Amino acid sequence: MMKMPRRALLAGAAMALANSWMYAQTDPARPLVPPYEKIQLRNGVTLLLMEQHEVPIVSFNVIVKAGSVADPMGKEGVASLTADLLRKGTTARTADQIAVDLDFIGGDFDVNAALDFTSASAEFLAKDLGQGLDLVAEVLTKPSFAQAEFDKLLQQRINGIKSAKDQASNVIARYFNAYLYGSHPYGRPVGGDETSLAGVRREDVVNFYQTYYSAANVIIAAVGDFRIPEMRRLLESRFDSWPAKSAPQTQVSEPEPVRGKRVLLVDKPDSTQTYFYIGNLGIRRTDPDRVAVAVVNTLFGGRFTSRLNTALRVDSGLTYGASSQFDQRQHRGPFQISTYTRNESTEKAIDMALEILKALHEQGVTDAELQSVKTYMKGQFPPTIETSDRLASNIARLEFYGLDKSDVDSYYAKVDAVDQDAARRIIRQHFPLENLALVLVGKAPEIRQIAAKYSSVPLDFKSVAQPGF
Amino acid sequence: MAAMILLPSLRRTLFCVLLAFPAAVPALAQDYGIQTYTLKNGMKILVEEDHSIPNIALYIFYKIGSRNERPGTTGISHFFEHMMFNGSQKYGPKQFDETMEAAGGSNNAYTSNDLTVYQDWFPRSALEKVFDLEADRIHNLSLDEKMIESERGVVASERRSSVDANNSGLLQEQLEAAAYTAHPYQWPVVGWMADIESWTMEDLKRHFEIGYSPANATMVVVGDVTGAEILRLAQRYMEPIPSRGLPPPVTTREPEQLGERRTIVRKFAQLPLVMIAYHTPESAHRDYYALQVLRTILFDGESSRMYKRLVDQDQLAISVRGSYGFAFDPTLFRITAQPKAGIRPETVENAIYEELNRLREGLVTDQEIQKAKNILLADFYRRMKTISGKANALGNYEMFFGNYRKMFTAADDFNRVTKEDVQRIVRTYFTDRNRTVATLAPENGGAQ
Repeated sequence: MMKMPRRALLAGAAMALANSWMYAQTDPARPLVPPYEKIQLRNGVTLLLMEQHEVPIVSFNVIVKAGSVADPMGKEGVASLTADLLRKGTTARTADQIAVDLDFIGGDFDVNAALDFTSASAEFLAKDLGQGLDLVAEVLTKPSFAQAEFDKLLQQRINGIKSAKDQASNVIARYFNAYLYGSHPYGRPVGGDETSLAGVRREDVVNFYQTYYSAANVIIAAVGDFRIPEMRRLLESRFDSWPAKSAPQTQVSEPEPVRGKRVLLVDKPDSTQTYFYIGNLGIRRTDPDRVAVAVVNTLFGGRFTSRLNTALRVDSGLTYGASSQFDQRQHRGPFQISTYTRNESTEKAIDMALEILKALHEQGVTDAELQSVKTYMKGQFPPTIETSDRLASNIARLEFYGLDKSDVDSYYAKVDAVDQDAARRIIRQHFPLENLALVLVGKAPEIRQIAAKYSSVPLDFKSVAQPGF
Repeated sequence: MAAMILLPSLRRTLFCVLLAFPAAVPALAQDYGIQTYTLKNGMKILVEEDHSIPNIALYIFYKIGSRNERPGTTGISHFFEHMMFNGSQKYGPKQFDETMEAAGGSNNAYTSNDLTVYQDWFPRSALEKVFDLEADRIHNLSLDEKMIESERGVVASERRSSVDANNSGLLQEQLEAAAYTAHPYQWPVVGWMADIESWTMEDLKRHFEIGYSPANATMVVVGDVTGAEILRLAQRYMEPIPSRGLPPPVTTREPEQLGERRTIVRKFAQLPLVMIAYHTPESAHRDYYALQVLRTILFDGESSRMYKRLVDQDQLAISVRGSYGFAFDPTLFRITAQPKAGIRPETVENAIYEELNRLREGLVTDQEIQKAKNILLADFYRRMKTISGKANALGNYEMFFGNYRKMFTAADDFNRVTKEDVQRIVRTYFTDRNRTVATLAPENGGAQ
């Protein structure tokens, strides 16, 4: 039946980083990530193998170095459709057979496209490893992309967008991304939209697969209850036949931040609350300030007692939750403050969020806040690397971004290094103040005047019923 | 039994240990690696040592939820749960969260129809602090008028986001209101908006009196601890809290449903939505396991019957889900389908009934039932991967089955389900007269 949680999970609250645990945190000098081996197959596939024998489970995380930024212009959604269609039939098994075989061993297997890359995660009981791995390898190397499956999936996707638009919280990030990045590839919707999907054909998917799914473009991380030499053999025998072929690099220019204050109002006529995002460009995944930014953001909007949540929820009761996030990508990802409030308090909540941001710039942070947030971030870190699937995902991403485990092993030291001066510099450099994009999803007749007030140029306006974001 | 393997830590090891601890410390019973103890005030403690990370998950389950409420103050359990964070004698307003986070911990809580559950996740170094915080609010909660008003706004916002701005939340509320005529499962856990706006200090005090006696609580601790240290801390911090009475028993029973009920919600939307509910038994009932096997056969994975029929073959819907959760009293087995644009909800409904009819008339295959059991077992392992998953599962089995040991025998209980059992429960519960149907019909400007 229904469960009401006290708080929504703060997405990316402590900006969970990569890696593993067993090296207890009592000794700050010890590495956090357990050791793993990196092996390059002859055809260029990169393997990352880590043994973890605590539970009889094996987790895989596969990264293909091509995401939705590689979608052909006007055909947004191709990378994402390609990812979804992989499981819908191979040269040896139909979609139905794959589903039955996977479900019979209680396996988990998902493939998803993101902006910068496509990732597959799979998990099996150790006793089913051989069958599970056969499935994963077959799906990645021998998909059939049957026309009938393509047609079905396309219709599901188009309907899925309509369904998502019935819930503001499902789509506000897509509207915000599109508005913040404009024509930059990061502004294009990962899953496509009603218009772009209508123009995608099966051939687009086949082309995408043949162009980007090649051995040299693939990272496979395996973590769990196996021996490394055995896992190497299992993977080699299944992926060695994948032709060595280099894939084109997708060139993405550096995005430009929004100048001045720009406001997009999205009308959703049945709204009793206004959902809003306020932000601008944030940081790259590889930014050397990443952990320091996380420290400041956690106290600003990344935990329950953060300044934003204290002001908008705890002290005023304006909302169920207010938070801020820095999403990180190959290029600068978005920074945003996000919350929602009833229609009548929209102005009050936006003003309050902007005041909290201004106060951060004017007053910096206190020693007490810093001390609390450092203990908090270190205390909350071990669960982020507790399980084999989290470890696999983390080491695969480190490899994708050209980082190694020292990026994570230095986490506690980097957290501890942030003092008031460092925080002041981080705020000045990474938290926007005067230049901001605002996106509001709500009942336009009741909030249009308020929305317009924040814009230094004429208000931008859309309806959720219009195609696209 | 193809998928029956047991983790070493889950293997049955029935023995009792006397802990090497100062005299007069009582024995903790130990079974399946779980140490248990009941304090003098009636609070029950379950401990599982797991040193894989230097962290601890501490959950406290109170047997009080929206089923213990009355019309006029619906949602008070959930609101009270929020107030448990808003100040007590030693730790005033805001200090619970500030102290917890400064010690490296985080927390959450949830309320359901049956339970109110408090969850703390923290590093080992914060263990004693967490006991101090939890004991203080159970022992000496102070209810502040100003905090009540502010929290009222928070909960109203929570309701707007989970009901007004969420079509499936809205439809579920209407479905349950129609499916039950007598039992308190008919009102939403979050409460009706008018009740949220009008409950009083007196209502909160009464709720504390009936629900928060230590004898109504079970504490589950999993992580980098020993049973001995948890017992010592519990005796120091929790045992002095005086015991009070238990909540009055919920005596209302839902009368048998004598015919289909239908309800419709008209609102702005891009797509319609369909929910169908059947009255089914509580978790402690012997049919619980067969119902879970049935749910898995029908809804879990892309090889499940409903997915194949509605999403894949007939392409009527973009998703179809089945839910049948833990409950103290007879509950609902709920089916939710999201029709595609241009597909009439009745078409989706009829396809669902046809699939149920197939199960009524014929048996599932050997492969299907084995697959369902394998999925249930693999799901069980996935839930047990983390200390928080273990704490949650242990507490839920202790609450809903009256004994955490049922968690460890669940795989066997699922394995005993036969094809004939599946057919029998479809025939017993999935009848037209036992059915409630709720439909969301888009209007003005939606795509339909």
